[in-house]
Amino acid sequence: MKNWIAALFLVMVGLVVPAVAQNSQLPLPSPVEKELAAKASNVTEVTLGKNMLAFAAKFMNGKDGDEAATRHLIEGLDGIYVRDYEFDKEGQYSMDDIQKLRSYFETSDWSPIVRERDKKSGESTDVMMKIVNGETRGMFILDVEPRELSIVLILGPVKMEDLGKLGGIGGLGKLGDIDKESHKDKAKDKTKKDGDE
Amino acid sequence: MDFEKPEQTRKTVQPEQIDEFERELKQAMERRPAPPSLKRRIMQKRSMLRTERVHSYTIWWQRLAASVLLAGVIAGGYSWRQAEDRRKGEEAKQQVLTALRITNRALNDMNRRLAVRNREEK
Repeated sequence: MKNWIAALFLVMVGLVVPAVAQNSQLPLPSPVEKELAAKASNVTEVTLGKNMLAFAAKFMNGKDGDEAATRHLIEGLDGIYVRDYEFDKEGQYSMDDIQKLRSYFETSDWSPIVRERDKKSGESTDVMMKIVNGETRGMFILDVEPRELSIVLILGPVKMEDLGKLGGIGGLGKLGDIDKESHKDKAKDKTKKDGDE
Repeated sequence: MDFEKPEQTRKTVQPEQIDEFERELKQAMERRPAPPSLKRRIMQKRSMLRTERVHSYTIWWQRLAASVLLAGVIAGGYSWRQAEDRRKGEEAKQQVLTALRITNRALNDMNRRLAVRNREEK
């Protein structure tokens, strides 16, 4: 009798675990992505599942600071889905395509955090977070520029403090450069004003 | 033993017994040619023994060689697997860094635009 109960329990676990795992599955490429890839001059596609991330983390040297930081960042993540499209010229995609992309990734679980639009330059950024039981379980970034389009989907417990440290990781560029950028913009504004005068 | 009649205690060898003994001795001393199949049988047995000895040595060396070869194949396969895993691990690591680079750039672009917008609004 006990053996039957144990066997039934194991069968139920065997059915439930894949179902839970499926929820964390990375999405399939949307039809829009295929069209964008066809038009882009340079395409970067990175799809890493939980197993692949764990595998990559094994080869990150704990003694090296940068690699240890990266390892800490990706530990526990369920997946990373990144698409980056670079175009030779502007106008290779429409706002309709962008809206289709947003709709494809935006489901009821996702809450928009940032929606930034610049109609003059045609740039926009969308950041969405997946909150489950008060915990961040995913992050979506859609960065649109006239000649470049980036989609980033991170599934799993995303640690924002670790994301902020991204810039500190060697070779990835510094988030701190924003200060430099803002100084550059100030300088540009100043020269413009001087020019106008 | 009867000491009074010593003649009766000695065994007396009968002439017939002597004759029988002589006959057997003569027969044993007689040189007779070996039967024709004897040599063949002895040579056959000798060659079989030799073959068995050679065969056992050969088998022993063959087994040793096969074991060494198998151990080499297993060790080679294991080394190859290790090298392959290392290569795939490096590839996966580079993919992770690429993904994080793109993420970082997207976040930077967003921050930059937000900062510009904030300044403009001020």
